[in-house]
Amino acid sequence: MTSQKRSLLERLATSLRIIPDLDADQPVGGAEDGMTTVSLERFPPMEQWDDWSENDPHAWPVRKKKNYMLVPTTCFNCESACGLVGYIDKATMEVRKFEGNPYHPGSRGRNCAKGPATINQINDTDRILFPLKRVGERGGGQWERVSWPDVLKEIGGRISKALREKRNNEVVYHVGRPGHEGYMDRVLKAWGVDGHNSHTNICSASARFGYAIWQGYDRPSPDHANARFILLVSAHLESGHYFNPHAQRIIEGMMDGAELAVIDTRLSNTASTANYWLPTQPGSEAAVLLAIANYLIQTDNYNAAFLQSWVNWQEYLSAVHLDKTITFENFIDALKTEYAQYTPEFAAAESGVSAELIIKVAQRVAAAGSRLATHTWRSACSGNLGGWAVSRALHFLNVLTGSVGTVGGTSPSGWNKYKPDFFDNPPAVKFWNELHFPDEYPLAHYEMSFLLPHFLNENRGRIDTYFTRVFNPVWSFPDGFSWIDMLCNEEKIGCHIAMTPTWNETAYFADYVLPMGHASERHDLNSYETHSGLWIAFRQPILREAARRAGKPVEFTWQSNPGEVWEEDEFWIELSWEIDKQGDLGIREHFLSPYRKGEKITIDEYYQYIFDKTPGLPAVAAEKGLSPLEYMRRYGAFEVEKRSYEKHMREIPNDELRKATVDVRTGSVVAGGEIVGVEVDGRARRGFLTPSKKQEFYSQTMVDWGWPEFRLPGYVKSHVHPDDISVEQGEFVLLPTYRLPTLIHSRSGNAKWLAEISNQNPLWIHTSDAERLQVRTGDLVRIVTEIGFFVDRVWVTEGIKPGVVACSHHLGRWRRACDPAANRWATNLVEINRIEGNIWQMRRTGSIAGYESTDPDSSRIFWSDGGVHQNLTFAVHPDPISGMHCWHQKVTVSPAQPGDRLGDVQVDTSKSMEVYRKWLALARPAPGPNGLRRPLWMNRPLRPETNMFYVGS
Amino acid sequence: MPIGVNRTWVKYIEKGVFPDSRRLFSVMRCNHCDDAPCVEICPVTALFRRNDGIVDFDNRRCIGCKACMQACPYDALYIDPDTHTASKCNYCAHRIDVGLEPACVIVCPTQAIISGDLDDPNSEISKLKSREVVTVRKPEKATLPRLYYINSDRSSLEPAAAGSISSSMWSHQSRGVGHYAHVVEEQVLAMAAKSRAADTGVMEHGMRVLPGLANEPENKDNRLSAKRSPEVVPATVLSKRHPLDEIRDALGLRDPINGVLNPDRTNPKHVVSTSAVQTENARRSYDAPNKGVLWGWQVSTYVWTKAVSAGAGLVAALATFINGPAVTTVEQWVALIVALLFLGVTGILLVMDLDQPKRFLYVMFRPQWKSWLVRGAWIINAYAAVLIIWLGTLVFGTGSELIWIRWILIPTAAMTAIYTAFLFAQARGRDFWQSPLLSIHMLVHCVIAGAAAMSVLSLFFEAEDWAVCLGRILIAAILGKLLIDFLELASTHGTTDSRLVAKMITNGRFQTMYWYGVIGLGCALPLLMLLINLIVLLPVAGLFALLGLYFAEHIWVRAPQLIPLS
Repeated sequence: MTSQKRSLLERLATSLRIIPDLDADQPVGGAEDGMTTVSLERFPPMEQWDDWSENDPHAWPVRKKKNYMLVPTTCFNCESACGLVGYIDKATMEVRKFEGNPYHPGSRGRNCAKGPATINQINDTDRILFPLKRVGERGGGQWERVSWPDVLKEIGGRISKALREKRNNEVVYHVGRPGHEGYMDRVLKAWGVDGHNSHTNICSASARFGYAIWQGYDRPSPDHANARFILLVSAHLESGHYFNPHAQRIIEGMMDGAELAVIDTRLSNTASTANYWLPTQPGSEAAVLLAIANYLIQTDNYNAAFLQSWVNWQEYLSAVHLDKTITFENFIDALKTEYAQYTPEFAAAESGVSAELIIKVAQRVAAAGSRLATHTWRSACSGNLGGWAVSRALHFLNVLTGSVGTVGGTSPSGWNKYKPDFFDNPPAVKFWNELHFPDEYPLAHYEMSFLLPHFLNENRGRIDTYFTRVFNPVWSFPDGFSWIDMLCNEEKIGCHIAMTPTWNETAYFADYVLPMGHASERHDLNSYETHSGLWIAFRQPILREAARRAGKPVEFTWQSNPGEVWEEDEFWIELSWEIDKQGDLGIREHFLSPYRKGEKITIDEYYQYIFDKTPGLPAVAAEKGLSPLEYMRRYGAFEVEKRSYEKHMREIPNDELRKATVDVRTGSVVAGGEIVGVEVDGRARRGFLTPSKKQEFYSQTMVDWGWPEFRLPGYVKSHVHPDDISVEQGEFVLLPTYRLPTLIHSRSGNAKWLAEISNQNPLWIHTSDAERLQVRTGDLVRIVTEIGFFVDRVWVTEGIKPGVVACSHHLGRWRRACDPAANRWATNLVEINRIEGNIWQMRRTGSIAGYESTDPDSSRIFWSDGGVHQNLTFAVHPDPISGMHCWHQKVTVSPAQPGDRLGDVQVDTSKSMEVYRKWLALARPAPGPNGLRRPLWMNRPLRPETNMFYVGS
Repeated sequence: MPIGVNRTWVKYIEKGVFPDSRRLFSVMRCNHCDDAPCVEICPVTALFRRNDGIVDFDNRRCIGCKACMQACPYDALYIDPDTHTASKCNYCAHRIDVGLEPACVIVCPTQAIISGDLDDPNSEISKLKSREVVTVRKPEKATLPRLYYINSDRSSLEPAAAGSISSSMWSHQSRGVGHYAHVVEEQVLAMAAKSRAADTGVMEHGMRVLPGLANEPENKDNRLSAKRSPEVVPATVLSKRHPLDEIRDALGLRDPINGVLNPDRTNPKHVVSTSAVQTENARRSYDAPNKGVLWGWQVSTYVWTKAVSAGAGLVAALATFINGPAVTTVEQWVALIVALLFLGVTGILLVMDLDQPKRFLYVMFRPQWKSWLVRGAWIINAYAAVLIIWLGTLVFGTGSELIWIRWILIPTAAMTAIYTAFLFAQARGRDFWQSPLLSIHMLVHCVIAGAAAMSVLSLFFEAEDWAVCLGRILIAAILGKLLIDFLELASTHGTTDSRLVAKMITNGRFQTMYWYGVIGLGCALPLLMLLINLIVLLPVAGLFALLGLYFAEHIWVRAPQLIPLS
């Protein structure tokens, strides 16, 4: 410090060289105390992003400057795709850190813990740097390094053979975290395979179904920032998709006077911040919501104008109340009668939440009117049989208050999500993959992905080439031992290719492990319904972009990434050319440059085309003197629309209305025998995506597909309803789905800063239950499910409803002794024993411990638990309608037995087949009307040709 | 940032009873105090307050004495395991310098952190501070913190409202961090050597296939075994601690705080002791890792050796008043050798305690004069100089020079004994050390130590007068100690933290060591012996007094550090 006077003694000692002179010739901070004079910025100014200079914090207070190139990308941890800016040290061309991107309209420069922790993932000491091929038997843990050209040749040849032999349905791409708008659908269509499988049905199928049955769109997009009342059946202040963008806007709304109500059995951080916490008995959420709906109905607190124009009440009256004339008044009367049963007292009895609290919240909902923002995702929807009734009942409140698509209301997701234009659109697929969309689940949203092992076990088919992409079903799906069993069976799975940025429990059982980039090592296009706007963001490999800016462009992303880590986008282009080597399969033509005739498309051209066609982007880019692609490379995101409301009111252009007629009774605009819109205020409007183009209070679809009892929003008793739980016998409902704020499924075990914060998943149990079981925090208990048990510690808390226990699904990662050292911040060493065929046992042989590596932190790991892998012990519970795996479990909890050890798991997979069959029997299979496998109006990923929708096609 | 240590973190508190329970969140970090105790205690100006109010640090100057970590009432500092120096939030001074806001401010999704210029009435932070109800942590510490909480709750901001934990709702700590990270690092090497491998059964798909129900794998890893794993077991709370536990605590191998405040329902006595302070139904549900007890055995031993050294000089000088000039040359030699020897050991211990031992000279040559570490170092130097003069008189003089040397010997020895009390008082984070009696306490200890050490050595030569003199001094000093202890422990303690420490000593974790070790072995037994036969039993009485004193220093240094600061 130049300003700080050194003592005479120090100056003397320094000059006598007794001690080193620390102040010699180094510019030292601290002298210029400039806070009062300098106004501080949040981010470095854009014009300095190519050469941004800041102080090295490690050298401070010495001003040691570091020069960075700042390149934007997006996070690849949860789905939100928040903006990140990578700081590339210009001296070494290494990525040093990630901060927020102020130009990203969703995240606005802010991030949750998972964003900056991307740097951990990049520098992960255990990461996979080169393509690997299995040596020895599958799952044996032996690997050899292979080259990308060999990988392409071998896999390409395999797929080519399958396609030539018309085994198109044997080529499957199973995705965990997508994060690329439309890319893969285009590839699969080009190949002509109905090969898209997903994780949706262990995640959000029921929430989706509840929304889709109302309006065709399968997700909500609440406008929290402008709401007067926010009602969440989720924990979006702390976790979940869009956590960071949503939390920002929920608090913004609350700071502006909005109140927050949270329905959650568990005291989440979100519930804790709410004005009203409704800790419901699991599965009773719809009852509470319907009681609120009933309050709105009985007290005439509904938005009559919205209901009259946009709800298919006429259809309802004519189908259900044949005796009544079709008038709005009669509809209201019918509504009052229909919902009178859902009294606050009924809801209180079902949920355990007091009737007074339910009425209070109902009053707030009524007062909010069109400014009611609601949200549910996973949560109660994914936990319970009939979980879709929860989102359906929640959306009912938006319909009643007329807060659909309004300022401060809740929009359909599709309005706030951009669909890019592609340079080439291959025709729809001419196949229907019954392993993904079996006839038993005609209304499923979507693929029955978690039943794959059970279907293959029943010999419903086989898979020749199975890509798992950022996907870890062995760990994150129920009944993981059945997955291991399936993956090890080379008869069922011909070749398993795991495409992943990090080792995972599924990749252990692969034939190829192909390293794919983390957030800053790959291309993707993102757009999500984070708020009432519309944006796109560009995930890009930042070292590749930096190399390009430095005048050293590379041909493929793996050339600029660590090791030979590649990215899917380029891989699929190369693989597609390899599959169609001779050019006779008609695949290559979909991977040709739109700018250079007959030549293979480059990844730059792919995105150049999309950005060129993005409305408004070329003009904004031109203002900055940039091409649209250059703009996106530099800014990382673009706001297509600032505000997006009431898109159902969009008028249908007159040229589409030639020959159209209007049904005066319903207002439906009919063209070519189909309803194309709704006439409101004298104009033909686009409406919603349902057959009626309205909000479908009454669902003819439910009637047509064998579920007339669910034609209206109503209550479905959960499979864990208290009627079936015997408290005396130590039975509990287990909530196994809740997320932690700082982890993301099985993709954060490689991030030390995240593992440092969250590293165990004790079983939450209420104080009174713990006293009954005579256990204290830290004690071990055995949790017995239908097919096995696991052993975990307990966390005794007042933050959960008595009779209910909860365990986060985020922890309990593992590796076996034969596996590569993987994710050692988070994985326990385990031994898996298989006894007499069907009994599987997992036991820890080593807990998490420090290890030697290039990262000194790896030897300082101060935790050792790592959590318990509970999903293994869950049987599959397919909801007969949505196809959702209903996660909640009826379990028996008891103090651990002698010999039980933390992390012990035991499962009988023959029992899991029994449970599967039991739930399968609940389904009401296709065909529906006209021999359909699935309603034509209902969306599904990779939608095949229409004639494929018919059974037997 | 290395793992295990944090510049800023969020503490979670759960309070209330279902369904009226709630979780509270509070951001913990440096409070950038206007009157920063860390700056005052830092011996080498490594910590300093800038004109704009930022409390910054220069780790090139830091010697790793950890005094700042005792002084800060907010638990803001830690030892960075990479640099082995203290570190903390410095308001991102390196960012401010290039015109950027602090990192925590810009990253926060909900913009819950507002930073700015409190001197500017128009800044957002000034307006908020004026308009809202704001609180600071521990205002009674008079540090004038510049971090304000809006709508905060007592149970969130006061550490004692909810006891420390080693296991939270989603995390747990089983090894040391920061200053203790090196212990873990060393363990890693050992662990690597013990790597286990599956050895039996047929391997198929990487899994062992066993015929029928196989033999249970032997439970090798203690931490995993059934019922209760040691890492989350609260350290034994009350009496009968295994000596090894103390050592493990001292080395930071286990969570030392847990046993103090975390209710242990198996022990009813403990529940009583915690309910006295735990007034709210609140508990921690997440917290940053515990940094452990930072001043360990090196410091308590140094207090003890320093007391012996200073006491030897002091007692010899005092004896001149009792025995007149009759303190013989031999007796002087004994006292001087004891003083020099123990002063040397004191110096070694002081250096050993530093996380940057090679920089020990900085204490003297980069002095921050307000720090009692610096003053203490020079006091020790002065005392050493006096001892050397004394040595000179013994070698070159007659031995009667002690009559005038005592006038410089007494003050330097006394200051050597008691400056640590002033240092401890500068450690404003530790309430118990704020006792005004602490300097007298140390002075009395020093007299006991000196007299006791020389009593032991009186075994080797015959000098009845000298023995009687020592014995009387010892008796007087022990009686004095009993009085001081009584005053310190029995008087009403003004703060929760000091009350807790007193309880820990008299009726808690340290009660066995205190009542049997300090009072019984160290005070009562020597007194009894001296009353029975002062001459014969003097050496043994001295030995026990020294032992008791060691226990006392251990408790006085350690117990206050078991109280969580955040």
